[in-house]
Amino acid sequence: MKKVININFQGRVIPIEESAYDILKQYIESLTRYFANEDGKEEIINDIEGRIAELFGEVLKKGSTCITDEDVNTIIASMGRPEDFDGEEANIHAQINGEDKKQSQSGSQQHNSQYSNDPKRLFRDENNKVLGGVCSGLANYFGIDPVIMRILFLITIFGAGFGFITYLILWIVVPSTASTVIGSPRKRLFRDADEKVIAGVCSGLARYFGISVIIPRLLFIIPFLSFVFRFSHWGWWDFPHFLSFSFSPGALFIYIILWLVIPEAKSAADKLEMKGEKVDLNNIKSTIQNDLEGLGKKAKQWGTEFGETVSEKGKQFSSEAAGVAKKNSRGVGDFIVLLFKIFAYFIIGVVLFAVVVALFSIGVVFTGLTPVKPFVIDDGLQNVYAMGTLLLFIWVPIIGLITLIIRRLAKIKGNSKLLRYAFVSLWLIGLFCFISLIISVKDDYYYSNHPAEENVELVNPKVSKLEITAPHTLRYYNRRWFKMEPFASYDEDSVFVQNVRIRIVKSKSDSFTITQVKLANGSSKKEADNIASKIKYDIIQEDTILKLDKGITITRDQKFRNQHIILTIAVPVGKKIKVNDNIGWNDDVHLHMGFDNDNWNDEDYNDQKEERWDHGVEYIMTTKGLERTDKKQEDEEVAPENNDDQPNNAVEEFKKSKEEILKQKEQKLKELRDIDKELQNSGDSTRYHYQPDNPKKPEAKKIVETVPTKSNNTSRTMHFDELLLMKFSI
Amino acid sequence: MDIQNTQSQMRKGVLEFCILSVIRQGEVYPSDIVDKMKTANLHILEGTLYPLLTRLKNAGLLNYRWVESSSGPPRKYFLMTDKGLEFYGELERTWKELADAVHSLTEPITETETSDSIETQP
Repeated sequence: MKKVININFQGRVIPIEESAYDILKQYIESLTRYFANEDGKEEIINDIEGRIAELFGEVLKKGSTCITDEDVNTIIASMGRPEDFDGEEANIHAQINGEDKKQSQSGSQQHNSQYSNDPKRLFRDENNKVLGGVCSGLANYFGIDPVIMRILFLITIFGAGFGFITYLILWIVVPSTASTVIGSPRKRLFRDADEKVIAGVCSGLARYFGISVIIPRLLFIIPFLSFVFRFSHWGWWDFPHFLSFSFSPGALFIYIILWLVIPEAKSAADKLEMKGEKVDLNNIKSTIQNDLEGLGKKAKQWGTEFGETVSEKGKQFSSEAAGVAKKNSRGVGDFIVLLFKIFAYFIIGVVLFAVVVALFSIGVVFTGLTPVKPFVIDDGLQNVYAMGTLLLFIWVPIIGLITLIIRRLAKIKGNSKLLRYAFVSLWLIGLFCFISLIISVKDDYYYSNHPAEENVELVNPKVSKLEITAPHTLRYYNRRWFKMEPFASYDEDSVFVQNVRIRIVKSKSDSFTITQVKLANGSSKKEADNIASKIKYDIIQEDTILKLDKGITITRDQKFRNQHIILTIAVPVGKKIKVNDNIGWNDDVHLHMGFDNDNWNDEDYNDQKEERWDHGVEYIMTTKGLERTDKKQEDEEVAPENNDDQPNNAVEEFKKSKEEILKQKEQKLKELRDIDKELQNSGDSTRYHYQPDNPKKPEAKKIVETVPTKSNNTSRTMHFDELLLMKFSI
Repeated sequence: MDIQNTQSQMRKGVLEFCILSVIRQGEVYPSDIVDKMKTANLHILEGTLYPLLTRLKNAGLLNYRWVESSSGPPRKYFLMTDKGLEFYGELERTWKELADAVHSLTEPITETETSDSIETQP
């Protein structure tokens, strides 16, 4: 089965097989090249084409429905291929040469004018290239040394990774001196099946860019090796950066995309197109002989093709470019216009690149979530939905978009319709999966449990200070390559969610009390209650240290259903509390689906006011609320040791002004005097009970002295801690 | 020495002379030239003929005329100019001299063969 196309060939409409057309085109192009240095080149080609058209006509007259490969090959054989001409030509040509020289040739005249008046165009310099000739081309254009251009590019590449993208875009967009200027078949990107290792992507790329095949292979292999040997190198945040982009498993992904996108070079014509054309004297001559009209046409063609790919602006540019070429005018205006166009293309290119990278990152993030999936998603249908969502809803459009862009850029035509339908239908399946997933997950989270407050038994609730900490786990998690922030310490069959909220309130009694509330969601109230009751969370008191679990353990069977613990620690007035940094994350993991009507409102579930606090700071509970203990240190750097056994006094009391105390003192003295008077007057002993008031006087003074010092046994170490903390806070 | 190479070189030398002699007989279509030469056992590729004709035309030795054809676009028929006739005369004289020389040199061995293939040409 072959595709037949109609061509208008020398004034005849010829139905011809597509493959036969390719052969014919190739043949005509080879003739064009062969006669490039002939004076009457156009005429010769025209005559030959005319004759071929006539022969086609004869074939069709005989009753053939179309021209086949065979017909074309027979005709070409009778006409002769350029290789066959060589010997036959030489003598004759030499004979006539002498006469030819007399004649003035319109072609060469035009050619001269082309050299002098053609407006400068930006080309990649194939003769002086390191990679793609972009730098030397730019240098030519601006009239500077290519080395300077290269250094500039190297700086931008290693400085910001920015230059690399610019270079790639210029490489693709800017025509090469070899492939575009010369009237030769344009180069096309094919997979080279002859030199393939996997699918010939690398060798095809090498062919296209005219570089050694080793370069693309290394570019693909190095990242792949690094993918195999170390995982930890790709952090989330520097992902879009060029280095992490190229040195990541993305290379494998890119390879697969290119495999999908780039057609394999099958026919001889494809192979010729893939290799493009070598730069030799013949081609340069043919360039020279291209008349201006041809150049304009080509610019137009090039512009139109590009315009399709990028934007409407491309079309404008093309016609303008054609116009410029025709007019032969040159000026500052053109130069500025060209600069603007390069800039515009650059912007478009960067935007496209950014979109692709962004989509790609989204895909990677969602893929990165898969290790957590078994803890959230039910097995069975929901799991199918989840996988469908990931592969079809997220990855398919990413691959599709990248495929589209590359196909457009590389001007690959073919069964794009089929591809498009395939992508769209796959995505629709993905969309269905996504919606189903959302619905089914929503159900799982719809109901909350009945919150119940339970008391936690403390071994010794009367301690003067409580330090809350989470013990270090013995297992080493740090070296794991994968870490999802909320789901800390991911491990094969369990994860920890650090959904532990610590509330600190003022205790009504003189001892510490701790209550916990376990919360969870479920597909029904009962289910939610069940899940909440399964939450295992250990609280162990060791002297003044309260050890909590690092997080709530969630196994594969239990699944993550917003398990959440609210710990309420009631601190008696005058006692200290400190929550270490390694516990109680403020940003906890939650999934909210649907309406949170029955969400547990923990703000006012009892009348106790919640205190504000920070991690790693020691507080003391006062009648007014929590106070930082390290504040005092600012007032008195070195506090004298005091062996007073008295329990810590509230800072409030310390803060009472001296005047107040003095006032009290005066009042007491007054009373004392009154009592003395009375005693002297009456000698009555009934009021003797006033006497105990007297010793209070010095006691009040003592308070003033002791408060600023830490009058307990641990004071020394505390100082140290707090000094450090102060340092940090400063 | 490659015998085929030498033979083809000998043939090539007289090719132009032969083509001109065909055109001298009257207006011709290029493919007719090929056919005529084929009957004379002188093979030429059409792809070689066209550039040659164009060169001769550009040199002012030939001219062409568009002739309506029964099928498709008009065809290009070539005819000889006065300058071409002059040129042909020169060539013919040179050829005669050459043929005589060759003839006299090779007479004892290949008289019949050579005379046959070349004398049919005029």
